[in-house]
Amino acid sequence: MPDISTLAILSIALPWAGAVLIWLVRDRQPQLQHALAVVFTLAGAAAALAMIPQRSEVNVLDFPLGSAFGQVTFLPDGLAVFLAVVATTIGCLAVVFSVDYMKGEKQLGRYYAYVLFFIGSMVGLVLSSNLLLIFVFWEITALCSYALISFYNDDPKAVTAGIEALIITQVGGIGLLAGALFLYAYQGNYDVPTFLAGADRLPPNVLALMAFGFLVAAAAKSAQFPFQTWLPDAMEAPTPVSALIHAATMVNAGVYLLARFYPAFEAVPNWKLAVVSVGAITALMAAVMALVSNDLKRVLAYSTVSQLGYMVYAIGAGGIFASQFHLLSHAVFKALLFLSAGAVIHAVHTRDMREMGGLGKQMPLVKVVMIIGGLALAGIPVLNGFWSKELVLEAGHEGGPLWAWLFMLVGAGLTALYTLRFLTMVFYGEPRSGQHVHDAGPAMKVALVPLALGTLTTWLLAGSFGHFLGKALPEGHDVESTGALLLQVATAPTTFVALAVVALGLAAWWQRARLAGLAHSLRGIGTMASNSFGFEAINRAVVSVTEASAESLRTTHNGVLNWNVMAILVGLVVVLAILALGGA
Amino acid sequence: MMSLSLPLMAAVAVLGLLGIGLLGLLVTRNLIKVVVGLQVLVKGALLALLLAGRLSGQVQTGQTLALTVIVADTIVSVVALALAVQVRRQFGTLDLQALSTLRR
Amino acid sequence: MFDLLIVAAMLGCAFQAVRGTRLLIAALWLAGASALTAIMMFRLGAPEVAVIELSVGAGLVTVLFVFAINIAGEEPPVTLRSLVPAPLAWIVALCAVGLGAAMALPNLRVESSLLQADKFATVLWEHRSLDVLLQVVLIIGGVLAVLGLLAEGRANARKESQ
Repeated sequence: MPDISTLAILSIALPWAGAVLIWLVRDRQPQLQHALAVVFTLAGAAAALAMIPQRSEVNVLDFPLGSAFGQVTFLPDGLAVFLAVVATTIGCLAVVFSVDYMKGEKQLGRYYAYVLFFIGSMVGLVLSSNLLLIFVFWEITALCSYALISFYNDDPKAVTAGIEALIITQVGGIGLLAGALFLYAYQGNYDVPTFLAGADRLPPNVLALMAFGFLVAAAAKSAQFPFQTWLPDAMEAPTPVSALIHAATMVNAGVYLLARFYPAFEAVPNWKLAVVSVGAITALMAAVMALVSNDLKRVLAYSTVSQLGYMVYAIGAGGIFASQFHLLSHAVFKALLFLSAGAVIHAVHTRDMREMGGLGKQMPLVKVVMIIGGLALAGIPVLNGFWSKELVLEAGHEGGPLWAWLFMLVGAGLTALYTLRFLTMVFYGEPRSGQHVHDAGPAMKVALVPLALGTLTTWLLAGSFGHFLGKALPEGHDVESTGALLLQVATAPTTFVALAVVALGLAAWWQRARLAGLAHSLRGIGTMASNSFGFEAINRAVVSVTEASAESLRTTHNGVLNWNVMAILVGLVVVLAILALGGA
Repeated sequence: MMSLSLPLMAAVAVLGLLGIGLLGLLVTRNLIKVVVGLQVLVKGALLALLLAGRLSGQVQTGQTLALTVIVADTIVSVVALALAVQVRRQFGTLDLQALSTLRR
Repeated sequence: MFDLLIVAAMLGCAFQAVRGTRLLIAALWLAGASALTAIMMFRLGAPEVAVIELSVGAGLVTVLFVFAINIAGEEPPVTLRSLVPAPLAWIVALCAVGLGAAMALPNLRVESSLLQADKFATVLWEHRSLDVLLQVVLIIGGVLAVLGLLAEGRANARKESQ
């Protein structure tokens, strides 16, 4: 059995090696490319799983890079290994799914190379404990995300969506980079464990800057308010990519960042309140938007944004365990939902739910697993989404303000409502498209079944998951056994309140005909929601202002050497003048 | 009174060469004259290195650094001149204004 | 006094090199400036570099200039108007030099006693071997670049002739 540092390197390097090999194979042998992708992601997943028993609370693998960059260090503690396992296993299932989904597509090499490159970088992002290295991996994942969103690069919508995602996540990247540089300036290195152990050594205002910088980074990466617009647009990507990057892994990086640095920023005034507000606003707003969208993948994307809001909210309320447990549940059931949605879309060749309907008969397995995933999303008891969402709500009730808790409750009801809506529109009712529908391929089913089983069972891990996270949880969190934890959830008053709200949401869907008057009076909100509450307009305004200023600055870039030298020289004069005045 | 000592004269030479080189880069419109301006600029830098070595008592280190700069500068000039020759062949002019493609 | 003469001549040569309109003349003025720089280097106690500067700066580079000007052909000697207004260029350049002088000249300490007794060769080969490596890399890179440029010219010429 290799030791932990070897495994950490392997779980990054295996997917990367696979990416290079697939790229080298070129597109003449698609079968070989499929096989290589599956083999290397499987190996990466195996390496990540093998880290579980060996996780450590201290840095492993010290590789010096000189004084400016610090050491390449990895910290495979519970939190990191957990996310590495999620990234590699769900990555592996998404790749298996792709074998059917991407069959016959052109440029498979580009597709698989980026997917595998992404998986390795995601593992690197969560494992490394050098903040600069975290930033580097953070940006690599953003780059892969961009390239995969724009995979169909002859479609202008896809290209625009990719660039939008890249730019918005870059805004967050600036926050992370600023935080990293502040850490270097005040601590002398980029080591995260040192920082977490003694964050109070930094001046409070610097700590606050870092805390809010990281919040911006996390909000941009996890598509939280006010950066949420890129994720729904990112649905132009091939569906396995949406399942992997935009539901199960990369968007969780923001939540991971907040959870990882929670001990350091906990004491920063107003930080927790800001995190709670971001989470609550996002969760409610995205749920409303999910209710009015007619594009199957966009509904799922809004619901991802909303569920990420739940996780961020839980972190702000101090419930790191609840947030990470919800992350686990969400990663499993949302990957399941996306992959089954992919199977549906692959079958009917449209994403518009109004053209679907009555698909249950043609695709029985997909129907069953998607309903399992949907019920977990809605928070129906004994599925994993129920337990983790109740934990989140309980944590929020204890540690967050009341208004945010009410937001989340309403969000939970809306979640149930829109889940039922899209399940009904897809699988029940009269078939609306006359075209022939073919069932999911075998590889798709192979990928769907484990996820469905996971959705049914991961809540049983609640207790051991607490042990597993160990020291990554803030002090004072008492780890309980599965039974005690479940009993606590099952008897807590918040659970019944939440269940009542969920039931209300379900009832609202059954009685939708009678509620037509109410729905009519709320139409204003619906219209606003389908226009994403004006955020698209804000985006467009930012773009046009940027373009206009670039156009007017164009005269300064005339490409003539003399003027360039002039600019350099004027800069020199200014610097010299400042030095001369300052030295006097 | 500050005598006309060697370091003073060398410093004047450094500043003068740098100024003239920069002036050349500012006013010339000919690609080959750009290289001439660069050469003048680098000569100033060479003298500055040697002067600094002399003032800090590390003449030989100054010399080695100057040697590296000479090598780099010569390579730059050679490549730039080859480039200028090709530009002239391709575009028929060495005028910077005419060569700029960013104009509107 | 001797130094003053050399510096004055050097600056004069450099100015002529930059100012002149004919390329060939400019290259010759540059060679003169280079030779005077070499003398200044010798005076500063750097005879090795002075010799190299004399042979490379004044010799090799001048030859290359003459070569390049011959191949590229002299531009018609009409004086194109400078793109940056000349007075502005003068002001900025003088500002930079003046500020530099104001900061550097008062700080010219009397030279310290020679701490470094090593010979040039020892310092070069033993203490700064990385520099030597870099120089080798530079030279190889430069040669490759020039070869590539010339080959491209030939390829283009062949394409045109076809």
